[in-house]
Amino acid sequence: MLVLLAVHALAAVLAPSLVRALGRRALYLLALAPAAALGWALTTATATETHPWVPQLGLEVALHMGALGRLMVVLVGGVGALVLAYSARYFAPDDAGLGRFAALFVAFAGAMLGLVVADDLLLLYVFWELTTVLSYLLIGHDAARRAGRRAALQALLVTTFGGLAMLVGFIVLGEHAGSYRWSVIAGDLPSGPLLTVAAVLILLGALSKSALVPFQFWLPAAMAAPTPVSAYLHAAAMVKAGVFLVALLTPAFAVSAVWQAVAVTAGLATLLYGGWRALREHDLKLLLAYGTVSQLGLLVAVLGTGTRTAALAGAAMVLAHALFKSALFLVVGVVDHVTGTRDLRELSGLGRRMPALAAVGVLAAASMAGLPPLAGFVGKEAVFAAFATGAPLDTAVLAGLVAGSALTVAYSARFVWGAFGGAKPSEALPPGPALLAPAALLAAAGLAAGLAAPVVDGLLAPYAAGLPGPGYHLALWHGLSVPLGLSAVAVTAGAAVFAATRRRSRDAAERPPAGTAAYDRLMHGVDRLAVELTGATQRGSLPFYLGVILLVMVVLAGVALLAGAPWPVALRPWDTPLQAVVGAVVAVAAIGAARAHRRLTAMILVGVAGYAVAVLFILHGAPDLALTQALVETATIVMFVLVLRRLPATFSERPLRGSRLVRVAIGVAVGAVAAAMAYVAAAGRQARPVSLGFPDLAVSYGGGDNVVNVILVDIRAWDTMGEISVLVVAATGVASLIFRRSADLRQRAPAPPPGPGTGWLRTATGAAQQSIVLQVVTRLIFHVIVLFSLYLLFSGHDAPGGGFAGGLVAALALAVRYLAGGRDELNAAAPVDAGKVLGTGLFVSVGTGLAALPFGGQILQSAIVDLHLPVLGHVHLVTSTFFDIGVYLIVVGLVLDILRSLGAEMDRQMSEPEEAA
Amino acid sequence: MTWLVPLPVVMPLLGAALTLLLVRRPRAQRTVSLTVLTATLVVACALLWLATGEGALVVAVGGWGPLGIVLVADQLAALMCVVSAAVTLCVLVYSIGQGMADGDEETPLSVYHPTYLILTAGVMNAFLSGDLFNLYVGFEILLVASYVLLTLGSTAPRIRAGTTYVVVSLLSSLIFLTAIGLVYAATGTLNLAQLVGRLDALPDGLRLVLQAMLLLAFGIKAAVFPLSAWLPDSYPTAPAPVTAVFAGLLTKVGVYAIIRTETLLFPGGRVADLLMIVALLTMVVGILGAVAQADLKRLLSFTLISHIGYMLFGVGLSTGLGLSSAIFYVVHHIVVQTTLFLAAGLVERRGGSTALDRLGGLARVSPLLAVLFLVPALNLAGIPPFSGFLGKLGLLQAGVETGGPLAWTLVAGGVVTSLLTLYAIARVWNLAFWRTPHPSLPAPGPTRLMPRMMVGSTLALVVFGAGLTLVAGPLFDVSATAAEDLLQRTPYVSAVIP
Repeated sequence: MLVLLAVHALAAVLAPSLVRALGRRALYLLALAPAAALGWALTTATATETHPWVPQLGLEVALHMGALGRLMVVLVGGVGALVLAYSARYFAPDDAGLGRFAALFVAFAGAMLGLVVADDLLLLYVFWELTTVLSYLLIGHDAARRAGRRAALQALLVTTFGGLAMLVGFIVLGEHAGSYRWSVIAGDLPSGPLLTVAAVLILLGALSKSALVPFQFWLPAAMAAPTPVSAYLHAAAMVKAGVFLVALLTPAFAVSAVWQAVAVTAGLATLLYGGWRALREHDLKLLLAYGTVSQLGLLVAVLGTGTRTAALAGAAMVLAHALFKSALFLVVGVVDHVTGTRDLRELSGLGRRMPALAAVGVLAAASMAGLPPLAGFVGKEAVFAAFATGAPLDTAVLAGLVAGSALTVAYSARFVWGAFGGAKPSEALPPGPALLAPAALLAAAGLAAGLAAPVVDGLLAPYAAGLPGPGYHLALWHGLSVPLGLSAVAVTAGAAVFAATRRRSRDAAERPPAGTAAYDRLMHGVDRLAVELTGATQRGSLPFYLGVILLVMVVLAGVALLAGAPWPVALRPWDTPLQAVVGAVVAVAAIGAARAHRRLTAMILVGVAGYAVAVLFILHGAPDLALTQALVETATIVMFVLVLRRLPATFSERPLRGSRLVRVAIGVAVGAVAAAMAYVAAAGRQARPVSLGFPDLAVSYGGGDNVVNVILVDIRAWDTMGEISVLVVAATGVASLIFRRSADLRQRAPAPPPGPGTGWLRTATGAAQQSIVLQVVTRLIFHVIVLFSLYLLFSGHDAPGGGFAGGLVAALALAVRYLAGGRDELNAAAPVDAGKVLGTGLFVSVGTGLAALPFGGQILQSAIVDLHLPVLGHVHLVTSTFFDIGVYLIVVGLVLDILRSLGAEMDRQMSEPEEAA
Repeated sequence: MTWLVPLPVVMPLLGAALTLLLVRRPRAQRTVSLTVLTATLVVACALLWLATGEGALVVAVGGWGPLGIVLVADQLAALMCVVSAAVTLCVLVYSIGQGMADGDEETPLSVYHPTYLILTAGVMNAFLSGDLFNLYVGFEILLVASYVLLTLGSTAPRIRAGTTYVVVSLLSSLIFLTAIGLVYAATGTLNLAQLVGRLDALPDGLRLVLQAMLLLAFGIKAAVFPLSAWLPDSYPTAPAPVTAVFAGLLTKVGVYAIIRTETLLFPGGRVADLLMIVALLTMVVGILGAVAQADLKRLLSFTLISHIGYMLFGVGLSTGLGLSSAIFYVVHHIVVQTTLFLAAGLVERRGGSTALDRLGGLARVSPLLAVLFLVPALNLAGIPPFSGFLGKLGLLQAGVETGGPLAWTLVAGGVVTSLLTLYAIARVWNLAFWRTPHPSLPAPGPTRLMPRMMVGSTLALVVFGAGLTLVAGPLFDVSATAAEDLLQRTPYVSAVIP
């Protein structure tokens, strides 16, 4: 079976190329795939095959074909092949979508084949959904038509809804039985409410797929599909999937009263509704569609009952229905093809003009009406027999079935009358034999199955064998029995109904199928809910988003704090009261910054807070941190000033006055929660911190006296490596924001120095914004500062300093040069591409980290080298110093990049308008 | 073989350094980037192989043992690295193709290459880190790199989107940093393995505070409702490959951090129920957002949020099957969401827009593009036999297995979300790929509308995503043992602290 599935898949993949190469004839070739399935099923009674797929989920490619499966494979393969052959003549030779159609159609046939032979219920679902999606694509074949697109989407959503419900039902069964193979589950069904839940969920799938009440509306709408699609999907194959599922599960599920009740009730309601609506349609295809809906109801009602006779009757009806209904659809396709219309009010005289076509149509319609000696008659006899038991409930069902049959007879007559009746001569040309043959074959098969009823009985009986109830055999003649009498009643009543409605319904207005409005309302409701909910949550307002996040924090952490975080009893407010003073400065500066109206004020206050934090570090005994913090603060202020040049002096008047209180409240709450958390967390410590061992290890293992530096370049050098890459990116990002064009980005490298001079002060052009004095002074101290920065870099391992602080000092020296002399002065001081400095720094740091690997060390492991060199004397060298050099370079590169972009490039952009003018 | 562990971080960083030095030689830059990411993929695969065979690989950076930073490549981390490396490589090829077709005005490659490589390093670092603060560093690397990538070309919409993104991300970083400070204050260590015992010893209330703060920080990154609103306002404006890699990877780093910390540091407890509720809201609100969109990229951003809910669902169940399905779903979603955004980029080129009312008839205009969109779209909607279905199936099974009102509600929510996802993408198909071509459809001109490298890399990811179906068995083996290890906790702890 896997081979057959693979053949279908391969054929589907090759289909577009084949169609391109051979045109319409390719479809005959492709029809071989379903034909092979037919041939295989005709020659094989049962088959089982298993391949692993996802064992953890109970999903296996477990395939099994029994009597029911065999019937379905015959139908899927046989009708599939014939419809493909029909399509080879139905579509125009130059139809652009033919390749796509062929691929989807063959794929659909393969999915359908998989569905009916799947033993693993999850696998069944896999194929089930595949048929849904493929039918969506096939219904929308003519993508330019709105009705088609709409119907395709509707069919997709309705059947997928049911499919998902069914999946959950399967999962309930599978989790209970510990397996997803139906052959296992059938023997181990859950009981009680779980069974009911599973039954309802699975029936939702079956009802929606087979277009039963209350899902009946999608099938008539899906008639927007090309006729071959309707003939196959909406008569023989896909809509039968739900029927098949009911047939498959009923033998085990009949123990559930809910199962029977739902299946029979929905089935009967559908039978009557469909039959009634079919009598009001003028479009032959729609007439057939409602007829299909009606018959599917019949099938589910019968197959859901769970007695032996009913099962056999249902199976026979499945066969009969597939044969006559696909034949009828194909006939309608031919009619449409030759006359250009399907409206029975316009058609006339076709019966005389095309007797062959009419014969095929009448033969199939007779089977539909249940006239002897056709398959439809044999099936309907069995159906009546199954319920003619005399039990009150059965009798009630029987009444419904007879009424439904009468309606079936009536719309069958209406079909024949509408399509072929009338005396007005038609001018249409009769179809070619190749177009007619598939329909003729199907109709003939219906006749053959009726005549050979005992053979069919032998093939289908194994399916019903295990069920309770008396044995029944399919046959044309059972004697003068109750079913025969009921058949006569149905035919007579049907004829009467046809006679009564044929004139009256002529002018009935066209109406969409019942349920369409409800579906539309539901989808409209979903759309509206979506829009309103999204409008409420997706405000597009940054303050709103931040407010939500902070509120969540206050609630989450606040609840946790109140819920029982241990509140410490003793509190040590400070080590020295000075800390409180500095802390107060930080707080006041922060509040002031938030309240400031002028940007410069805000910036200065933020700076104050930053410097105050540096003081806090000193008070804690961390001069290294304080030094770095102060340097960072200074560099930040320089950059802020550069940016502020381009911004308005004051913050814009914000239209946020109304929410001011809310924002203040959120701010206060966040602060309070944060403080409380810090308080609780610090008091909760029970273990000794890992850092207690750092000072000793820093010397012995890290080779440095400055523990902060050893942490940065050794213990947590991996962090530092990450953070310097952050600096590299940040620098790149600033450049990318400011240099608008890609070509400009290359100006991160300095331009050649302008001006005629080559002397010491050649960049001093005397322009108004330059101060010669300042420039000279900075020139004088520049090299001293750079030397100092190098000292910080190299002594950092043992004394305060390090690559970060050193780099910042050097960078500030560059900043001073720029501030004093502008971009040319900056270029003179650092005639390099900032990007290259960054790249080199990153390369040095990361490369140092890797260096230990060849020597068998861990990444970023440092080595301590003590050398006695002739001139320098004793040299104590730790390899992590090279890492620090990289850090130094990156910090310099970062600031250089920022000075070039926020400084020099912005100077240029600001002066551009004047230059232009 | 532990020397392999740092390489997925170190190699992209070295590559970034080289591309910065090679700024004037685009061809050399491309070679470096492609080589580095290919090598990263190879190393990641090797790590997964080794971790599966021999258990977690642990490196103590600098030889400091648990005092310093440890890197841990267990199955989960290695799996994440493999998928991320594959995705970043494909997206790189795509963006090179785009850059070569358009010139680099739109996405200046001299900036793009180093930044992109550093972003990759950050993602890898986050996966491999065995240290809470270093995890933060990983986040910072990828975040700062993402700030730069998001604002490439500094057009006004990108700057506006970037503002939202940067400020929200800064707030999440601040919350994360606060949480780290609190954790260190309470326990005196940041090594995840050491934290296990020390956190267990803390009073429940205090542990809850720490858990809440970490969850909040990661929840913003992972775009969990109600912390998700920033995402659709920022991602869609970036260049297509950037959006693609963000959508695929960045939120998943948040999900990864949630999985790691919730299982290792804070197992059990009532927060799992909270996670389930949040998962439900994320799924449903997210997908309704997608239904309401009229622009393909924005729509995809909402499906991204919505499906994060599925992963949280699995984490919240905290059963073996739930967790393993969540891990499987992460892998699936990284691939498929990236692919969809790449396909959306192609739609934008071929159709001239991503607004659904300005598109039409694309299936006829370019059948290849139709396939490139349809396959991952169906995959996302959980249509079998694709991986989205398999992941969802595992989650539904785990939900039914757990039972109880909450789990059943989640099962129902998951099913509804799946249906609405299908609705959303079918709407896209109906509008953009069916109908007749829109008058504004660009005519073929001097610039190639479908450059071969862009199509090829998208196709590669489409195949990769569809191929997950075939290897679902082995992949579920990996995710199941990874989930088992996570739930037991001891394999991780004893690998780090022997």
